[in-house]
Amino acid sequence: MTTLTRQDINFGQVVADILCEFLEVAIHLILYVREVYPSGIFQKRKKYNVPVQMSCHPELNQYIQDTLHCVKPLIEKNDAEKVVVVIMDKEHHPVERFVFEISQPPLLSISSDILLSHVEQLLRAFILKISVCDAILNNNPPGCSFTVLVHTRDVATRNMEKVQVIKDFPWIVADEQEVNMQEPKLIPLKTMTSDIVKMQLYVEERAQKTQVY
Amino acid sequence: PLGCDPSSASDKKVFFLPCKNPPSHQQVQLWLEARKQYESLR
Repeated sequence: MTTLTRQDINFGQVVADILCEFLEVAIHLILYVREVYPSGIFQKRKKYNVPVQMSCHPELNQYIQDTLHCVKPLIEKNDAEKVVVVIMDKEHHPVERFVFEISQPPLLSISSDILLSHVEQLLRAFILKISVCDAILNNNPPGCSFTVLVHTRDVATRNMEKVQVIKDFPWIVADEQEVNMQEPKLIPLKTMTSDIVKMQLYVEERAQKTQVY
Repeated sequence: PLGCDPSSASDKKVFFLPCKNPPSHQQVQLWLEARKQYESLR
């Protein structure tokens, strides 16, 4: 058993790699399950030893990859408190928010392979929950789109600046409309506690999805 | 005043999002139809 601190080489990077790989799978699956895009662009793959649906649309895949590429430095420095997949209606008002609340311990007790296989099992449970969440959520109105929000400290966004320039993928501060939802219903989906990361996933669902503004 | 404290300003929590939008449902639908046509011609 080895004890590593956040300052040790690769610790933050390993956690960020694991989480970003998971978030990529989760985002594809949310877009499929919540029918944001036509089901024809999704193909069945196996991740975490369970079947998942991943998009084969090049532009969409690139968008998700670029997004996570910018989020990764924040996770690496333990600066990403929440990563939120927001599904919006035609008027760009949120109808659902899939909130991944992340916290990382300052110290890590690691026993390599056992630890990683345990984390994989825990992440698998999240994937399974997402794949059946349509049973507990109301249908979304047609013509929805999505975005990804990251909740972080203002100063931490400096970690993103270099990546933003390289990838030509700039980020901005979200406005009220993108962050807040009227009368949300809170649906907890899954919680995990491991030695390297604690994560909670819940959905905020707008009560009136066909609301006229 | 508290509002002018630089440490509290730097610790302010904010939500960020990408400037660019993902492809729209309509764009993706058109791509899908074009791909189906292309595959039927092969």
